[in-house]
Amino acid sequence: MSNRVVNVLAAASVAGLMFTLFGMSAGAAGAADPAEQVKDRQQTMKKLGGGMGAVAKFVKNEGATAEDAAKGAEAVLAVSKMDVKKIFPEGTAVGVADSAAKPELWKNWAETQKYWSAVQPAAEKLDAAIKTGDRAQIAQALGATSKTCGSCHEDFRVKKN
Amino acid sequence: MRRVLTAAALLLPLAFAGGSARAAGPLQTGEAPANDSVSRGAYIFNAAGCLGCHTDEKGGGQPLAGGRALATPFGTFYTPNITADPVNGIGRWSDADFIRAVREGVRPDGAALFPAFPYASYTRMTDRDLLDLKAYLLSLPAASTANKPHDLSPPFSWRFLVPVWQWMYLTPGPVADDPSRPPAWNRGRYLVDALGHCAECHSPRTQFGGLDSDRYLAGNPQGPDNDKVPGITGSKAKGKGIGDWSDGDLALFLEAGLTPDGDVAGGAMGEVVRNTTSKLTAEDRAAIVAYLRTVPAKE
Repeated sequence: MSNRVVNVLAAASVAGLMFTLFGMSAGAAGAADPAEQVKDRQQTMKKLGGGMGAVAKFVKNEGATAEDAAKGAEAVLAVSKMDVKKIFPEGTAVGVADSAAKPELWKNWAETQKYWSAVQPAAEKLDAAIKTGDRAQIAQALGATSKTCGSCHEDFRVKKN
Repeated sequence: MRRVLTAAALLLPLAFAGGSARAAGPLQTGEAPANDSVSRGAYIFNAAGCLGCHTDEKGGGQPLAGGRALATPFGTFYTPNITADPVNGIGRWSDADFIRAVREGVRPDGAALFPAFPYASYTRMTDRDLLDLKAYLLSLPAASTANKPHDLSPPFSWRFLVPVWQWMYLTPGPVADDPSRPPAWNRGRYLVDALGHCAECHSPRTQFGGLDSDRYLAGNPQGPDNDKVPGITGSKAKGKGIGDWSDGDLALFLEAGLTPDGDVAGGAMGEVVRNTTSKLTAEDRAAIVAYLRTVPAKE
């Protein structure tokens, strides 16, 4: 590799890094509309639920193909990699739009982070199970993943009436 | 009197409100128990969901040492210690004492138990299941945690009124199997009505605080945490029943809390899935489904 190429690559990665930093700080400092943030969260959760539902349909043998299930697991995995702070920005508790997040979610933030960090490993296992094509294994991984969702829903979600 | 009974009405569903206990269960998920009394009792313990209410998990209490606060509009109940401790727990209770408490809502000293303890459902448990349950409870580590007195104001604190409620709403003893139904259905009914005490939250209550038998499992507008509890009859209407859920949907929900649209149960039902239905055998979950299928639709 020539020096020139290395320089260009270095410059590009520095630029990329700056962009990332700038973009992140702009996102954090920006006056985002809490109602919009709640809506974004609901979209995120819908994506997650859609993915879980697709895998479930496959497990139950109710019309979903292996491909649907694989796509579903990918969606679950993608969401699980998101930053929990971005999904649950402060100031979006119940009362804001139709938010269903209890204030305790932020009060017990360490717990929230712990719950959230359990989702990704479970989603990875789910993704891996799907690749084996073994329905029993997929069912087990699906159950384990939904458990990670349930812990947060149980403690921090307001039931909608 | 009427006010007292109304109070009981509101108090019962609240018995299930609040936090959750995460102590490890004695069984692996879905395992059928060995045939000894303690192992069978462990299974009954899960199926009846004893752990959650009798453990102050949020306060760091020992499993089954009681103290979980059940806040109601009439004051706060604190669940009692049901470990083997001879002073504060049930260590000195005879078999007959235990059966009488769970089946009739009467303490060994003769005092009536408040119906926050769902003995109107547990009363249907068989002698064998009750004694196995007791054997299991006594096999666990004792905790000397003292019972916290309930924080109730009169007239809700008047225990002597509870027998009136019992006279109105308690039909003591097991219900005989229906020979015209398959064994799975009978097992399902037992799991739903006796052990799982599903109707305590999923049925509305009359103005006197008893379960409204005309609206059996038809949903409860005032459930735990003042949440609306959905109906689980055969109705196809959303929130009213499970008529449009497949058997697979129901079994997966009971096992993993996952709904057909990919949502995962939270709140009180999340706790039920975690402590109870996920720990049943697949056969028992199928029995619950078989039974629920026959519950007449109520809109």
